[in-house]
Amino acid sequence: MGYTLVYGVLRLINFAHSEIFMIGVFASLFSMHAMGIGPGDPTKTGLALVLVLLVTIGAGMVASGSAAVIMERVAYRPLRRRNAPRLSALITAIGISLFLQELFAVRYGRNQLGFPRVLAKRQLADVLGANVRTDKVLVFGAALVLMVGLDRFVARSRLGRGIRATAQDPETAALMGVNIDRVVLLTFLLGGLLAGAAGALYGLFFEFAKYNIGFLPGIKAFTAAVLGGIGNIRGALLGGLLLGLLENWGASVLGGEWKDVFAFAVLVLVLLFRPTGLLGEALARARA
Amino acid sequence: MTRSRFRLAGLLAVLLTLALGLAGCGKDSNNNSNSNAGDTGAKTAVNLAYVGPLTGEAANLGINIRNGAKTAIEEYNKKADRKYTVTLKEFDTEGAPDKATTVKDQYINDQSIIGIIGPAFSGETKAVIPSLQDAGLVMVSASATNKDLPNITPGSTVFHRAIADDTFQGKGIGDYIVDKLKGKTVVVVDDNSEYGKGLADDTVKAMEAKGGKAAKRVKLDPKAADFSAAVNEAKSASPDVVFYGGYYQEAGRLKKQLTDAGVNASFLSGDGSLDPGFITAAGTAASEGALLSCPCNLATETSSGKLGEFFKSYKAINGKEPGTYSPEAYDVANIYIKGLEAGNTTRAKMLNFVEKDLGTYDGISKTIEFEDNGNIKTPSLYVFEVKGGKITAKES
Repeated sequence: MGYTLVYGVLRLINFAHSEIFMIGVFASLFSMHAMGIGPGDPTKTGLALVLVLLVTIGAGMVASGSAAVIMERVAYRPLRRRNAPRLSALITAIGISLFLQELFAVRYGRNQLGFPRVLAKRQLADVLGANVRTDKVLVFGAALVLMVGLDRFVARSRLGRGIRATAQDPETAALMGVNIDRVVLLTFLLGGLLAGAAGALYGLFFEFAKYNIGFLPGIKAFTAAVLGGIGNIRGALLGGLLLGLLENWGASVLGGEWKDVFAFAVLVLVLLFRPTGLLGEALARARA
Repeated sequence: MTRSRFRLAGLLAVLLTLALGLAGCGKDSNNNSNSNAGDTGAKTAVNLAYVGPLTGEAANLGINIRNGAKTAIEEYNKKADRKYTVTLKEFDTEGAPDKATTVKDQYINDQSIIGIIGPAFSGETKAVIPSLQDAGLVMVSASATNKDLPNITPGSTVFHRAIADDTFQGKGIGDYIVDKLKGKTVVVVDDNSEYGKGLADDTVKAMEAKGGKAAKRVKLDPKAADFSAAVNEAKSASPDVVFYGGYYQEAGRLKKQLTDAGVNASFLSGDGSLDPGFITAAGTAASEGALLSCPCNLATETSSGKLGEFFKSYKAINGKEPGTYSPEAYDVANIYIKGLEAGNTTRAKMLNFVEKDLGTYDGISKTIEFEDNGNIKTPSLYVFEVKGGKITAKES
């Protein structure tokens, strides 16, 4: 969704978004360390669990949100001010992405770091052969809240209107009193916050952090955004869901090693017939 | 605009300085650590070389080997009645064949180097064997296990290794699953890498030779975090043994996800998974009872006899515990030292010693005797078990 938001407003693919995600994973791990939770500790229950989860996700969001804002200020705004060609911004994005990856690799090593387990992975129910587990419920619930929240925010709030206006026509929006710089910054912040929350959830679910952990989810998120129609928030949601289903269906039919081949073959097919993605490229037209 | 340009330039300058500083530190610490301990007085100086990774993804493994060799050399240099003082020169290849070929001239042209401990990996070994043969410089690897290595240069005399090859390990694992674990429903998972797939294939072959078979072959993508497709496939077979061919980080995550999905089969993996990183990745609870095999021997806190002594000496010299391939590297260095004490101080003499005069060497990892092609004569497979968050010896 971060890809879609930033692209919608700026017509820029922010490749460094996957590193914003990675920062979220690391931040949530460090917040656990700061709370004194070690690898061997028992899992938490009740109020303690809720508190720990909120702090972890909050830490991921704050760290990623600030990283995204700093990135916009340091790397993208100067380029925008000087009307640099879009290609420069793209190269900058790739550069930042590599820079952050290597920075974390040198600082924290290239091995994965383990997460302590805070949420007991207990099977809750068995729905049509699907294994409903506590941690999966958490991730699903949180994702739902974030998605609906973002959709409503962009559709209803003043800032959301600003974002849509800027996406539609930056010059007219500026004439109408929209502060473009502020809108862009806030768009990055919003994308960063979401990536941070996603990073924290990813960490809680897969329980490891690594310097290049953002790469694959980044590619997948970008693919989902393109599949649904880049620049279109609901499209990104739909694309994400579809991509996940396709991958796992492909894996179960053709075998695990064909998972990505299958998903991307479908993506290419969809783009052949609907070059702008399933729902079209229209953040500006997304109405409540 | 100007102000922000200056700020940006300033920030870049700071970052650049930082990066250079870090790189500089890394280089220094690698180059300065040779093992020139004690007095050099009247003893003649002789050089050996360590060739393998000291930086990069595979650095841990290379450092285990370097430190094992260093332990042997420092112990020797402390002896009062020794004839020589040995220095270990280090050549960092990052474990990559292309890097190894650019580094090789440095040690081949240095005539003071009479023997090589390494190269560490099969790929880089493959890349330098022909040059070593031309230079007549003998090598003994502690860790290169690809089965084709003896045939890279036909009739090669310089190649030796103090460890069994991959085919032997695969056979050993297959036998172990059928004979010891009595696996009825065995699921074999691999990461589709040359090493992982090869080991899994050899394991299945060995099981079939004993009348067993793999109930299911499953592939996983080591780059992904989510192995749920592989886990579900494995689970649907209700296995009593799961074997994984691959490396420790993925092995650990796979084991954890299997346990979380309620698969309680015995988990077995090969030498690629023999690293404390396996336990970090799986977590203490899920890793408990996992079996890891290796043609190498490990020195642990509970080791007795010569391995136990090595554990203490290694820890005193290197400030940390020995790892995978440390005992083998210790043996390799001591083979060269034995050659030196017998008066073999040139490349030609040392090559002749390792190739012809060594006979059987009673090492701490195993008894070492080289076949004509450089392979080890009586290979052995060791099985280790994870207990209470530590890797402990089980049987061989």
